[in-house]
Amino acid sequence: MVVLSSISRGVEPAAGRSGRRPMPHPMDHVLAAVPVFWLAIFFLAPLGFTVVFSFGHATFGGVEPGFTFDNYRMALSGFYGATFARTLVFALSASGLCLVAAFPVAYFIARHTQRRRNLAIGLILIPYFSSFLIRVMSLQMLMSRGGVAEAVLNALRWHQGPLDVLDTQTAVFIGMVYAYLPIAIVPLYVVLDRIPGPLLEASRDLGASRWRTFLFVTLPLSRPGIATAALLTAVPMLGEMVIPKLLGGSRGVLMGQAIAAQYLQAQNYPLGSAMAVLVLVLVAILVTVLARLTKGFAEVGR
Amino acid sequence: MTVFPVRSDAWRQRVTNTALMLWYGAAVLFLFAPIVAGIGYSFNLGVVNKQTATLTGWTLQWYPAAWYDLSLRRAVEASLEVALWSALIAVAIGSALGYAIVRHPHPLVRRGLTGLTYMLLIVPESVVGVSVLLFYAVTHIPFDTATLIAGITPMAIAVVALIVRARVLTLDRRVEEAAADLGSTRIKTLWFIILPQMAPAIATAGLMAYTFSFDNLVVSAFLTTPQINTFPVYLYGSLQYGPAPTVYAAASIVFLFTLLMLGGAALLYRLRRRRNAAMAVL
Repeated sequence: MVVLSSISRGVEPAAGRSGRRPMPHPMDHVLAAVPVFWLAIFFLAPLGFTVVFSFGHATFGGVEPGFTFDNYRMALSGFYGATFARTLVFALSASGLCLVAAFPVAYFIARHTQRRRNLAIGLILIPYFSSFLIRVMSLQMLMSRGGVAEAVLNALRWHQGPLDVLDTQTAVFIGMVYAYLPIAIVPLYVVLDRIPGPLLEASRDLGASRWRTFLFVTLPLSRPGIATAALLTAVPMLGEMVIPKLLGGSRGVLMGQAIAAQYLQAQNYPLGSAMAVLVLVLVAILVTVLARLTKGFAEVGR
Repeated sequence: MTVFPVRSDAWRQRVTNTALMLWYGAAVLFLFAPIVAGIGYSFNLGVVNKQTATLTGWTLQWYPAAWYDLSLRRAVEASLEVALWSALIAVAIGSALGYAIVRHPHPLVRRGLTGLTYMLLIVPESVVGVSVLLFYAVTHIPFDTATLIAGITPMAIAVVALIVRARVLTLDRRVEEAAADLGSTRIKTLWFIILPQMAPAIATAGLMAYTFSFDNLVVSAFLTTPQINTFPVYLYGSLQYGPAPTVYAAASIVFLFTLLMLGGAALLYRLRRRRNAAMAVL
């Protein structure tokens, strides 16, 4: 929660209370250099290799260095291109649905719980701390034929006969929204909680209805939270490989799985690298667009 | 409607509130359903040593079976070890990073470090996984426990750095300035003044790093070998043959353990805060 809230806050650290810049000390450089060194080796270098490989020529199970766009051409056409497009549409729509489902929850926690607020937010976060894989596995069990969801829906008479939702796009959609709902709720809650109550009262006093106040005061002020929630849900969805595999079967292949298959089965490293770089480019575009949305909002209700 | 504006407004508000509460309840129900189901299935008999979606009868046999399942136990042990090392490294490096993001004297360095930290969070895990796999393949580093740990540390470092950063932002610089005026060196100030103030945040961060590392599946899936297999990767692999009934028992125990650990941490945190509040009053 602290992690998520600090993202949506985006506070620029002050240079110092007294305004003067403290004298640099060797220790400052050590504290900055150690993480940079570690991350350069185990994070940046691997990503660099991926970028370099994406321009190489594929040989049988290996790579020849070179400079070609063939891999990108291949990754954007035919089956892979379709997968790419489907993944993008999927991530954006599932993220949108996640936000729509999360907003009332965050609003309820921020506005209608006082003493039991920690409990209210805790109930949202506890599932997030339990094993991701187990939750998806259980979801699979619940949704499969003869499972509990089928029994419940039949008992409620919302559905008749066996339930064939598993191994469809719908199941992947449900799974995505399920897995990322808590991450969408937290930044929205943080931002809604920080909107000053007197502001809303002022809007009411000036004659705006409750609905208009929400639409023209609350909603615009929660833009940074919306952007953060969108980022934190849409980006991992772009690379998601476990949910589509467990819930979508062969019909729900998304980019994450397609990339993994290039590395683990087809051994076509350059093509897999090009696909990975394309995902990174999408992520960068998303970040830029969403950063624009929050521009000038750093100071809201701090 | 115009005659009783106040009453109609109150009524409408009550409807809105109830709707919001119902929506919240539905969300909690939705989020907990699979967890409850997973625990439920750990008691389900299943059919011929396979877990089934249909409930076929109650049994307690999967708990001892999970305990005596050697490969399952080895996977859990590997996970405990990997998560411990990953959390330790993340605490050391992530704390330094979280501190440097706020306090490094050069704004450019601060901004660069902040960017790097956010990058750790937003690069999709599958991309990190294939990249690290490629990296080890190109450099001919053989896979072992150390390479697996190194591969999953970046995400843990980001988590620790952001939590520690949030704490450093609230530190009172005047205390450090007072220490400096009284003749303390920077290193002494860091060790005796700053570190104790950050300790609760670091502990929380370490706990979260441990939980996330233990649960890491995507990056680990690319870096494990038949010899080194963590619990999530073992589960993921076992799904190909249909879920073995023991996995739900093992998962339930792990969940209970995580919950106890987090609950204990929250309780400790609360006790500490109460004590601090009491001290502030005195």
